[in-house]
Amino acid sequence: MNLQIITDSLALGSVYALLALSFNLIYKTTRILHISHGAVYVASAYIFYVCKILLSLPFVISLVISLSVSLLLGIAYEVFLYYPLYRKKASLLLSFISSLGMYLFVINLVALIFGNEVIIIQKDPDTNYVIFDIILTKMQTIEILSFICIFPIFYFFLRTTNLGKSINALSNNPELAVVLGMNIRRIRVLVFSIGSILTAVSGILVSLDIGTDPNMGFSAVFIAIVAVVISGTDVIEGAILGAFLLAFIQNFTSWSLSARWQEAITFGILILFLLLRPQGLLSQKKRVEEVL
Amino acid sequence: MNYLLHILIMVNIYLILAYSLNLLVGYTGLLSIAQAAFYGIGAYIATFFVMNFGVNFFLAVLVSIVITMLLSLFVSVPSVRLKGDYFILASMGFQALIYGVLYNWVSITRGPYGISGIPRPEIAGFKFDTIPAYFTLTAVIAILIFLIFRRLVLSPFGRTLKAIREDEIAALGLGKNTAKFKILSFTFSSGIAAVAGCLYAGYMTYIDPTSFTIYESIFILSMILIGGTGNLRGPLVGVIFAIVFPEVLRFIGIPDTIAPNVRQMIYGLTLAVLMYFRPQGIAGEYKM
Repeated sequence: MNLQIITDSLALGSVYALLALSFNLIYKTTRILHISHGAVYVASAYIFYVCKILLSLPFVISLVISLSVSLLLGIAYEVFLYYPLYRKKASLLLSFISSLGMYLFVINLVALIFGNEVIIIQKDPDTNYVIFDIILTKMQTIEILSFICIFPIFYFFLRTTNLGKSINALSNNPELAVVLGMNIRRIRVLVFSIGSILTAVSGILVSLDIGTDPNMGFSAVFIAIVAVVISGTDVIEGAILGAFLLAFIQNFTSWSLSARWQEAITFGILILFLLLRPQGLLSQKKRVEEVL
Repeated sequence: MNYLLHILIMVNIYLILAYSLNLLVGYTGLLSIAQAAFYGIGAYIATFFVMNFGVNFFLAVLVSIVITMLLSLFVSVPSVRLKGDYFILASMGFQALIYGVLYNWVSITRGPYGISGIPRPEIAGFKFDTIPAYFTLTAVIAILIFLIFRRLVLSPFGRTLKAIREDEIAALGLGKNTAKFKILSFTFSSGIAAVAGCLYAGYMTYIDPTSFTIYESIFILSMILIGGTGNLRGPLVGVIFAIVFPEVLRFIGIPDTIAPNVRQMIYGLTLAVLMYFRPQGIAGEYKM
């Protein structure tokens, strides 16, 4: 039974990890609380649904279309919403509020077109694999595999390539990055592109697994936020620690208590961390002047 | 006529909510997404006392204010020390937590079924069970709260809050206990929100957790951000925009099935555009 919980947590954690990685990448680099990340997540799932079910295109083509549209949506957020505010040197609160506003806009547009009901892409029951008493569905295997494929690429991109290093530079010290003449605009667009593609992958995975509805965007972005708060923002790829931890706690809650309390427990953890260790597990405590 | 009064009752209730959040967002500079949680706590506590112990509505309101204020300390005392984004996140977390409790604690709140048959308020033999009577009640309370609020923000207390909003470290340097002022502001704000909750419960005679979700919090927040914060007229403009404007939408013939979505889209777009061109809102003073 305990091994089963761990396996389920690995699968759920893989999806959460993609969300948290992408959210932290954007948050750490631009310092924007990008609530609209949830909008990209929902949009990707719905575009995939339109291509795969309504237009009955092949899987790969639907995937490519959905990822590209999410990419464009993410870039549009940066180009039309955040960058103008950044250039005005407006406070980050304004970016957050605008993000919230545009989240409402996109989500309700989706709800207007497709309705508020849950949309299910895969109608057949999932194939199960049984390994040593552990039941693993096909979707769970795909979730774990996608994480295993994506994470190393992400890690090596961020740590070894020049572009990845410039993202790190911008997120560690924005002023210095400007002084050194780095192309801030290009790096920001890059960050939003990578972030949006990663969140789209998790959006599509979840919609294939349990279906999707417009309100899922909020829970997705919340999960990313909680995972990031647990692990701290200092190390971008550290967010996966929080994601897997959160997945385990959620699975453990539904196994030992009830699935209904999952959300309340998640936010209890968020509040506990904010109060007791606001810098997260992996970050160092900062002086007041540095935080502001 | 009753239709018009119904809208005005909603305007009154939301005015109370808007002013309560204005104290927090516009004067103290704390962006809170938990106002619907206090609104809900207020409604549920008053309902609990009215339904289970047959307490008079007005007494229940007082009890509800006190308990909500005490509960708010659990959030405000630890979280006022959090900076910027983290305060927003803590308030969001609290909002979701309260919704979870209201939804799942079935033995007290009846969970998703909600509580129905809440009696209309009654005082000295007079029952506020017609719409005009209830409108008078909400109007009197809203005006009362407006006057209290006005007194509060024009006092030295209000000026200190503004100082904290503009530059917390400077206020600290001038010897103000900023944490204490923030906590006080949070407590007042949640107490006022509880009044709105009680009035809502008494008017609808039915409450369920879906009226107190995070979307409601965002709605209240966007209302005052659109209208403007940090002064007395901003929230008024915001409430009129947010409550009266959708009714206009109904008259131009948008079907009821899509109206909520269209409304939300318009709020969202207005918020995003306004924050770029006019960060202080339509009639506000505080620029984020």
